[in-house]
Amino acid sequence: MGRLLLLGNESIARGALEAGLAVAAGYPGTPSTEVIETLMKEKDRYVEWSVNEKVAFETAYGAAISGAYSLVSMKHVGLNVASDALMSSSYTGVEGAMVIFSAGDPSMWSSQNEQDNRYYGLMALIPVFEPFDPQSAHDLTVKAFEFSTKVKHPVLLVSNTRVNHSRTWVDVGELKPPVWGKLVKKPQVYSLVPAIARGNREKQLKRWELITEGVKEFNTIEGDGRKLIVTAGVGYAYVKELVEGDVRILRLGVSVPLNREQVLKAVEGVEEILVVEELEPIVETQLKNILFDEGIRVKVHGKDYVPRVGELTFEKVGKAVSKFLGLPFVEVKEPEVKIPDRPPALCPGCPHRSSFVDLKRGVVKGGLNTTFFSGDIGCYSLGVLPPFNSQDSLTEMGSSLGIANGIFRATNTVPVAVIGDSTFFHNGLSGLANAVYNNLPVLVVVLDNRVTAMTGQNPSPSREIEIEDVAKGLGVEFVKAFDPFNVKESIDVISEATRWVKENKKPAVVVAKRACALDVLDKVDGELPIAVVDEKKCTGCSICYDFFTCPAITVGKDKKAVIDQVLCIGCGACVPVCPYNAISLKGDVPKGWDEVWLS
Amino acid sequence: MAKLNIVIGGVGGQGVITMGKMLIRAVKPEYKAVASETHGLAQRGGAVNVHVRIGDVYAPLVPLGRADYVIGLEAIEGLRNIRYACDSCVLVLNNKVQRPAIPKVALPTIDELINTAKNYVKVVVLVNAEDLALKAGNVKAANTVIIGTMLAVGKLRDFVDEEVLVNSLNDVNRKALYLGMENYDIVFSK
Ligand code: SF4
Ligand code: SF4
Repeated sequence: MGRLLLLGNESIARGALEAGLAVAAGYPGTPSTEVIETLMKEKDRYVEWSVNEKVAFETAYGAAISGAYSLVSMKHVGLNVASDALMSSSYTGVEGAMVIFSAGDPSMWSSQNEQDNRYYGLMALIPVFEPFDPQSAHDLTVKAFEFSTKVKHPVLLVSNTRVNHSRTWVDVGELKPPVWGKLVKKPQVYSLVPAIARGNREKQLKRWELITEGVKEFNTIEGDGRKLIVTAGVGYAYVKELVEGDVRILRLGVSVPLNREQVLKAVEGVEEILVVEELEPIVETQLKNILFDEGIRVKVHGKDYVPRVGELTFEKVGKAVSKFLGLPFVEVKEPEVKIPDRPPALCPGCPHRSSFVDLKRGVVKGGLNTTFFSGDIGCYSLGVLPPFNSQDSLTEMGSSLGIANGIFRATNTVPVAVIGDSTFFHNGLSGLANAVYNNLPVLVVVLDNRVTAMTGQNPSPSREIEIEDVAKGLGVEFVKAFDPFNVKESIDVISEATRWVKENKKPAVVVAKRACALDVLDKVDGELPIAVVDEKKCTGCSICYDFFTCPAITVGKDKKAVIDQVLCIGCGACVPVCPYNAISLKGDVPKGWDEVWLS
Repeated sequence: MAKLNIVIGGVGGQGVITMGKMLIRAVKPEYKAVASETHGLAQRGGAVNVHVRIGDVYAPLVPLGRADYVIGLEAIEGLRNIRYACDSCVLVLNNKVQRPAIPKVALPTIDELINTAKNYVKVVVLVNAEDLALKAGNVKAANTVIIGTMLAVGKLRDFVDEEVLVNSLNDVNRKALYLGMENYDIVFSK
């Protein structure tokens, strides 16, 4: 019907709309965020950011068991949070269509691990659709919805960074009106008390047979030859560009489960096989199972040729394919160029930078000379970097409070738990309830910037629910808020809370309240003020650029500070940082400036 | 069939993604085009890059040693991606060195960076992209300035439709594009 320039994630959203999507829910996480972001623009469908992936999953599932077409979106690690619901959804099946979209992040560009979620397909008995570029992502999404309604079972749509974040022209079709549900009451299917679950298990396995039969249509056998390359996901794109001549290719649009008949057809007359897939040997293992059962002795290469670590690249696939086909592979020597690293950094104007500076000074003033900073997932995870060094652990959403508990129980050190507002609602609530319930002496610092900032300023529940009220409601006795740009107030509140925790052996919650700088910039129009350095007063002490590290502050002659005119947003956070009062703000603030920062 | 590989390096927030988008939007209809982007955490002031591939391509990433252009929207980030450069590569550097936000970094100068680059590429082009963008009316148009320079030096012109490109731009960006086409220094050429 037309051609649009789309990001992989946008083409998934487009496919869902063409399939008749009615309800979508998700939790933001790179590289998945843009699916929900794109769907949000549609006014005739219901789309929400949920507090976490489990709630999002249940929302989509609830819609699908009433016959609606639904989608849930999250990153790979998000599926761990939703996995409890996921496993049961496969037992019951659905009435309408349910597509579970989960985006993986091989090489961990923006994640704590690179787990391969296709294992969830094997474990839960849910088929796994795997596109290789934005066009196939679009097409497979449409088909995934069709397949889900046909087999009355949820389906997983799994793709990785280079599909999600590739942009290209995509041929698209017509939008279909949303398919809503109607009230269906079938407790004999959906209420998983043991007697019902047992019956469901049998039916689930029957559906799995149907699914295994049905997946054939999503796979193709291309070319011919005595050598076969089996590939799924982005692996196909690399193989397609690298391979010419007498090679047979089995491209899997669905990588779990494999269809025995189709595999046997593909391997007919083949002498050697190479499996090219990103991360884990999911296809390889299934393939070997089938060949073994059939008594077919043919050499299968997979993870012995294609690395199991990190995303696929030309070099990795090229090396494997050359070895497999007996061709020379010209390796490019990577030059060693000496240049400084550039890790991600808190933005100019980011309130977290000030919070970390205040926090360090506040806890020491409050009498905690050594502590464990139990951290969490969000922009503020960057507090792990120097000069802040204020995240001693951070493993998953909501990890701060639970780990803090373990640290205290094992060492008697009073810990500091640092968590963002969105993460607090995602999975911090239960940890805080536990801290109250079990009397954990912990200083909880909630960095409330009103958004889920890391993934693109998605709205957060903190806009509707005050974190102070929640903490009080959960029984926390010491609760106070502060503005991290107000250094004196911040240090006072933090030190008071620290002392209170030590004396009372109970949790205290302090909330740093100031909006995400990027969100502020989105909301105000007009000229921004700018920081200026008085060269006469500046001593070149380096505090503002080496210890505060706003990216807009750079070094000039005689180590004196210089403000980058392009980067500075005029937030003023650096003004109180300079011990020599050399920094001041110049220019007027736009309308509504303070209100936006502090709202 | 012909191929053009471009790797654009920059600092998160500089408009690296926007530049990739602008390029593939203007690709001649007979060519395929794909841009691979960096999103999420890495975008926050960190080193980011976008791979743009045009022509007979399937894979999202540029192979090492095969980029026809390496672009540094910030000079250090140009050098960080130098491993992608092919023998006839054109390196376009914005004349700007931005300090990574970490304590006590020793910053290379632009001349040091250019000297290193000479070993790996055929042509090094230097552009004062931000000055020119300001002259055009908005400092944010720096990436359009650089696209202008790319049209003037190297093979990009064979793959994009200049008219489509110009028509997709507003006045400021159009001015920036022309300023970039005319105001650059070839500081090295093999
Ligand atoms: S903190 Fe003040 S005196 Fe020290 S380098 Fe920065 S501006 Fe100069
Ligand atoms: S006012 Fe200071 S802290 Fe804020 S962005 Fe400008 S230089 Fe950075």
